[in-house]
Amino acid sequence: MNAPRRFPGTVYRDGDEPDPRFSLANERTFLAWLRTALALYAGAFALEALALPEALGWRAAAAGVFVVLGTVASLQAWWGWAATERSLRRGTPLPGLGAGAIIVAGVIIAAALVTIGLFA
Amino acid sequence: MSTPPAGPTPPAPPPGPPGPPPGGPPGRPRRPGDAPFDPGLQVERTLLAWRRTCLSFAAAGLVAARFTAPALGVTAVVAGLAVAGCAILAYVATAHGYAREHRGLVEEDGLARSGVPMLVATGAVLLLGALCAAYLVAGILRS
Repeated sequence: MNAPRRFPGTVYRDGDEPDPRFSLANERTFLAWLRTALALYAGAFALEALALPEALGWRAAAAGVFVVLGTVASLQAWWGWAATERSLRRGTPLPGLGAGAIIVAGVIIAAALVTIGLFA
Repeated sequence: MSTPPAGPTPPAPPPGPPGPPPGGPPGRPRRPGDAPFDPGLQVERTLLAWRRTCLSFAAAGLVAARFTAPALGVTAVVAGLAVAGCAILAYVATAHGYAREHRGLVEEDGLARSGVPMLVATGAVLLLGALCAAYLVAGILRS
C-alpha cells in the first residue's frame, strides 16, 4: 500500500480498491451529469438568446430555473461521484438520487413557465 | 493493490504454439497490450464519454461566442476560442489518460485515477453557468 496519495483524500483515504470497471462506470455517470448540467445551462441561454417567450417576466423565471437546475446537476456530478466512489471502496450501499427529483420537478416547472409565457 | 477484477477476467493469452492468431493484423506479432482489459470495453467507453463531454464544452463555448459577439465583439470571440482550446487540451489529455489506464489495467496495476480532472471539469461547468447567469442578468437589465 505504498501507492501515491490520491485526491480527494476523503474518497481515497480508506476502503479497498474496488473493481476498476465499477470506478470507470462511476466516472461515466459523473460525465453524464456534467453534460446534463451543460444542457440545462444551454437551455437557459437559448431562452434568453432567442427571446422565448417574449414576456420578460416569464422568460427570466424559466431561464432562472434552468440555471439553478444546471448548478444542481453539476454539484450532483461531483458529490455523487465522490459519494459513490466512497461507497464502492467501503462496500456500503450506494447513495440515492435525491437530485434527480429536483431536476424532474424543475424541468416540469420551467416548461410550464415557458408555456404560460408564450400565451400570456 | 493488484487484485484482479471480480467478474470476467481479461482474456488470457491462448496456450499453445505462439504466433499470430487467425484474423489478427498481418505482419506484426500480437502483443499482450493489444487485447482490451475487459470484454465490456469499460475503459474505451469512459474515453468516449470524456470525448462527448469535451465536444459539448467546445460547442457550448463557440455557440455562446456566436450569440454574444454582436454585443461584446472581440471579447466574445476570444473567450469562445479559449473555451474551445481548453476542450481540445482536455481531449488530448484524456487520450493520454486512456493509454496510461489501459496499460496499467492490462498489467494488473489497477487504476491510477484521481479526482483532479473531475474537479476541474466541474469547476469549468460552474464557470460556464456563472457566465450564463451573467448573460441572463444583462439581458434583463437591457430590456
